[in-house]
Amino acid sequence: MTVARHSCLSFAALALLCCQGTIGDGEVIDPEGSEATLQAPVLPRLTTAQYWNSVHDLLGPDLPEMPLEPDSNPYLFYSIGATSTELSELGVQQLEEAADALSKVVFDDAQRRSDLVGCTPTAPDDSCATDFITTFGRRAFRRPLNEQELTLWQNVSTDLSDGDGWLGLRYVVSGMLQAPSFVYRVELGEPDPDDTTRQRYTAWEMASRLAFTFWNSGPDDELLDAAASGELLTAAGVEAQARRMLQSDRTSETVQEFFAQYFDLSRLDDLDRDPATYPQFTDTMAESMRTEVKLLVDDLVNRRNTDVRQIFSTRRTFVNSDLAALYDVDAPGASAVAFTPVELPADGPRAGLLTLGAFLAMNAHESDTSPTLRGKYLRERVLCQTVPAPPDDIDIDLTPDPSEPKTLRERLDQHRDDPACSSCHSFIDPPGFLFEGFDSAGAFRTADSNGYPVDTSGDLDAEPLADARALAEVLQDHERVSACMVTQLFRHAQSRLDDSGEGPAIEQLDASFAASGYRFRELLVALVTHDSFRFVAPIEVTP
Amino acid sequence: MSRLLSRRTLLRGAVGGATVALGLPLLEAMLNDNGALADEGSTGPIFGIFYWANGLPWHAGHGAEQAQGNYPDDWTPLEQGASYTATPLIAPIAAHQPTIISGLTPKTVVPVTPPGQADGHMRGFMVALTSDRIKPEGFDHPSHTLTALRPSLDQYVAKHDNFYGTELPRYRSLALGVSEARFHGYGHWDAISFNGPDSTNLPIMDPMQLFDLLFSVPDDAVTLGKRAQLLDAVLEDANALRKRVGAADKIRIDSHLEHILEVQRRLELGVTTCEAPAPPSSSTDLIEKTGIMSNLLALALSCGLTRVFSFMLTSPASTHVFSNLNVVDGMHKACHDGDWEDVYQITLYQMQAYSRFMDELAAVTDPTGANLMDRLLIYGCSEYGEGWKHGVKEMPVVFAGGANGKLARGHHIREPDGNMSKAHVTLLRALGIDTPSYGFNGGETSEDFGSLLI
Repeated sequence: MTVARHSCLSFAALALLCCQGTIGDGEVIDPEGSEATLQAPVLPRLTTAQYWNSVHDLLGPDLPEMPLEPDSNPYLFYSIGATSTELSELGVQQLEEAADALSKVVFDDAQRRSDLVGCTPTAPDDSCATDFITTFGRRAFRRPLNEQELTLWQNVSTDLSDGDGWLGLRYVVSGMLQAPSFVYRVELGEPDPDDTTRQRYTAWEMASRLAFTFWNSGPDDELLDAAASGELLTAAGVEAQARRMLQSDRTSETVQEFFAQYFDLSRLDDLDRDPATYPQFTDTMAESMRTEVKLLVDDLVNRRNTDVRQIFSTRRTFVNSDLAALYDVDAPGASAVAFTPVELPADGPRAGLLTLGAFLAMNAHESDTSPTLRGKYLRERVLCQTVPAPPDDIDIDLTPDPSEPKTLRERLDQHRDDPACSSCHSFIDPPGFLFEGFDSAGAFRTADSNGYPVDTSGDLDAEPLADARALAEVLQDHERVSACMVTQLFRHAQSRLDDSGEGPAIEQLDASFAASGYRFRELLVALVTHDSFRFVAPIEVTP
Repeated sequence: MSRLLSRRTLLRGAVGGATVALGLPLLEAMLNDNGALADEGSTGPIFGIFYWANGLPWHAGHGAEQAQGNYPDDWTPLEQGASYTATPLIAPIAAHQPTIISGLTPKTVVPVTPPGQADGHMRGFMVALTSDRIKPEGFDHPSHTLTALRPSLDQYVAKHDNFYGTELPRYRSLALGVSEARFHGYGHWDAISFNGPDSTNLPIMDPMQLFDLLFSVPDDAVTLGKRAQLLDAVLEDANALRKRVGAADKIRIDSHLEHILEVQRRLELGVTTCEAPAPPSSSTDLIEKTGIMSNLLALALSCGLTRVFSFMLTSPASTHVFSNLNVVDGMHKACHDGDWEDVYQITLYQMQAYSRFMDELAAVTDPTGANLMDRLLIYGCSEYGEGWKHGVKEMPVVFAGGANGKLARGHHIREPDGNMSKAHVTLLRALGIDTPSYGFNGGETSEDFGSLLI
């Protein structure tokens, strides 16, 4: 992957040696005294969600669904896939077919085309047509058209119109919706007049960066006007727009999208459990689990705007009848479709995301739990630690010997005793065992699938812990939790992995996150006003 | 100001810079202006890849450490040479007279860093599909992030001058798939067809989408012509962008430019003469869906819409749950857990799907009366030898079809520890592609299995 830049790999390589990540330990970088290095810009393609959000902003609702190249999510995020991969030939064809179909639907409808264009083109080159090309071009390309481009699209309008102004403009719309200026987020920077060592993102590019970060779509007219006025070239101007955008429901949706990728909730899509073995796992259970996490994020980030780290420790959650049965809690008012807030019992086994159905079931197999998968999720996603690669001559043989039945823990213990396996498994499994009190469907259990009593003891980095509840208390203010959340958001918003030279930027953001009481919405504002989001290293352009 | 630039001018713009070598045959073919070719045009050989996940059930032939359980080798035929008796796992496809090559293994050199590159999933897969190793730069074992160094064989063939020459069909190639289960949603885990690094051809999974692509071409040449002309403006926009970006992104924009030219060429071909079948249904049953997808593929091949395809029955390290075979866990876990009987049943089932796939192709004759299987060379392969320990010894290799009379059928060739790339040299030569040698980074060989070449 082109995305795994060498410096990121050195970050990973360090972790391989000591089985620890680097955030918050090792050499401490003084956030005040050290400056983050800037990275060269990347060129993300619109994700499918960004494409459809943008198209709906441009053309309005009620458009036909067209197949597009599916997104990919290396290093968790679609934005990283959009930056590191090429669009296939079929993907390009699908963009052409979608642009043709979408523009046709709008222009075949007299009312819709009139609403879109705002005037009646009497000829393909009249002032109405020119005005539309100018305004639509600015919205589609997220910047004004230059003179050459205006001429290009005017020629499209004229040459393909057969003298019909509407037809000419339909082709303009179709062409722009498949033009790379629309399909890629072109944010390349310009010389910074105040500092010749760096580039700044142009005001138009800042409008685009804000819009995709807050709304997962292109900028609205107000944002484009703020770009035109130069307002977005200052941190204060960016903050003013960011605070406006925060008020919109679209930001809440985009926040959900970030958390869904960070927590890998798409894996719930094909989660299935045999009802004979797991009677509580109804057809709607996987969707209920997904909704629960969304409601939890919504509660902490949007409704209460409070310390979002609580997501890993809170006993407050939201259940429907599926989840109330799974968690064995009373939930008056809950039904198959109605979720209700509940306080999980103080003396119960659950607190925080890592004791909820989504995490527990996604990270388990049909026939057995997986301390390894659960531990790996904790290490990689929650703590941003790098799990070392297995040795090349790995011998993965955990086959139970029928004559001497053993528990999964005992079989995994063999793994950790074997030097070939222990480098990874002694890192992953001990915290993974803490979740053994929950079966593959997420239900509490005291005996494993073979009838042996479960042992939920384990440890996190040599700190012995009794179970997942005890882990939740540790995570409540574990320094890696917030730093990792900042890192994940940074990657998501920058559409690439962080570079080791950006450590100071992430530490500064983590410090503002702390100062705000770990309120995620404040972290978003801190992120977009930070230098690392507004400035960029120059690109080496080869002819 | 100029009117819409001609495509020729833009093309020169696109090839003026540091364009990837890969694109050149295509661009040159475009410049020759010989691209326009009606459907139903060619009688040349057809090349396809059939891929199934997780190799074969393990046995001592995969290494002494895999002898545990004393499981039989139900794949490798006992006899060698021009005929053999079908073994239990070959029996489902035996009617199609497959040639089996056994004993082969990757010969690529495994770099020490980044670690984990010997993992059979990744190493075996890359050698089976590209004859090369994984791209070491950016390889990340913990997240299983990796990409190919070069095109997979389907793309190598589809873009080779010797194969299509100037007679380009509507599609250079098609990528199809059946099972939706994925180990990961990135890298090589959801595709078996590559154009090069970080450039995959994701398989079409939906029968109706495939139907639309092949047979729902609008019946309006004038409109298609306008859409093609509109792409000149899109190309101009792309060319303006490529001048501003850094080297890595320039490669991405160049490939985007090439794709626009291909789409434009297709629009210029205009309406299709292929007769559309009835719109397809779909099925959650792998064998039924294989039948539906391969029936559409057979019609496309007989009508000359393409001569190259890849067909991914199941994805690498598939998590497909074969509940129809009473296997409760995903396939990958069943392998890891050492559930030999389950793995055997799953492999047998995949061979039945393979058979169904070839049945559909064999049922169709092209307009000249030739049976598709006589024109075809189908290369059947998987990601490693066996899935229990991801061993790359004894990689399965199956050739089916007659390659227009160039390939012998029904042989079994056994070469323990033989170079996997030798099979690739053989198939490329059978397809008429000039191949002094093939295989890379330790896998290079100029040898073929000459007894198979006619």
